[in-house]
Amino acid sequence: MIEVKNVSKTFRRKHVLQNMSFTANKGEITCLIGVNGAGKTTVMKAIMGLTPIHSGDIRIDGETLTSASYEKIAYIPDRLSMMPSYTIAEAFEFMRSFYTVWNEARALELLAFFQLSLDQKIETLSKGNTAKVNLLLGLALDVDYLLMDEPFSGIDLFSREQIASVFTSHLIENRGVLITTHEIQDIEMLIDKAILIDDGAVLHEMNVEETREMEGKSIVDVMREVYGR
Amino acid sequence: MNVKFNSRDPVYLQVVQHFKQQIAKGTYVAGQEIPSRRELAQQFQINPNTVQRAYKEMEEQQLIYTDGNLPSCITKDEHVLHNVRHELIQEAVQTFIQSVKSINAPLPEVVALIEQHYEEEDSHD
Repeated sequence: MIEVKNVSKTFRRKHVLQNMSFTANKGEITCLIGVNGAGKTTVMKAIMGLTPIHSGDIRIDGETLTSASYEKIAYIPDRLSMMPSYTIAEAFEFMRSFYTVWNEARALELLAFFQLSLDQKIETLSKGNTAKVNLLLGLALDVDYLLMDEPFSGIDLFSREQIASVFTSHLIENRGVLITTHEIQDIEMLIDKAILIDDGAVLHEMNVEETREMEGKSIVDVMREVYGR
Repeated sequence: MNVKFNSRDPVYLQVVQHFKQQIAKGTYVAGQEIPSRRELAQQFQINPNTVQRAYKEMEEQQLIYTDGNLPSCITKDEHVLHNVRHELIQEAVQTFIQSVKSINAPLPEVVALIEQHYEEEDSHD
């Protein structure tokens, strides 16, 4: 389980995270929802230890983050950071040398799943295919938890559908996924839990299927109430 | 075979309803193997834990059975299968009655219209 407990962070006198608490379970897909600047990326980076926090506690399976945690958890940023002149094969090579948890077999499986090939150069890829490579490089790591920052943002419908289908596949099975999006419709039927945030604070946390059953409300219904739209 | 799910009703119950419809239609027959939980989640693009819950619900309702690690199958209990069909027809008729009653349509007129339209209205799916 990823536990974020009372985490606060101030940046240039602005409270970017305000006493934020939530959990994301293994075997579940948890979605952080909020507008740009709500703190979604910041809290993901905080979980990864990529940005300092001023108070609070973050634990992964009960333990605070250490260098060993990187064999347990991976962060997939919202854009690919890989040399544009690299071929996909070279990107794989880079990952293999960098991560002990790199799973080449899974990477190749994903490559086929996304209908891409090893000799393609990153700079020649479409936006949608670049997003797929970005996701692929993270998914091919044998980690228990995956943090995905806006995997659907700014790409075409068919790429979005293809990426969404990863979430129901064995590639995600038994892992814990924390995902951010501002286009919830793409994954409404795929997620277990939604955490609605704004101004660095959690406004509402819901199990989406339970909310449908107990209150007859969709995620969007609840978002309208919570965000007052 | 694709299903449109609505986002305000529990998805697991919509999955159960889908299976009941397929049983009533005869698409699924007694003892027939059904897709694995993972396959169904992929096919319908819905949360795998939700599919798991739907299958558990169907097991409790004895619509399906699972022996050990074997794939789940539609029940062989003819009584259960008959009831599924009966239940769906009842539900559909109830809904229909409610909507015609809400506009005060008299029964003889409604029955005459049903008889007139039933045959021409072949299933569109």
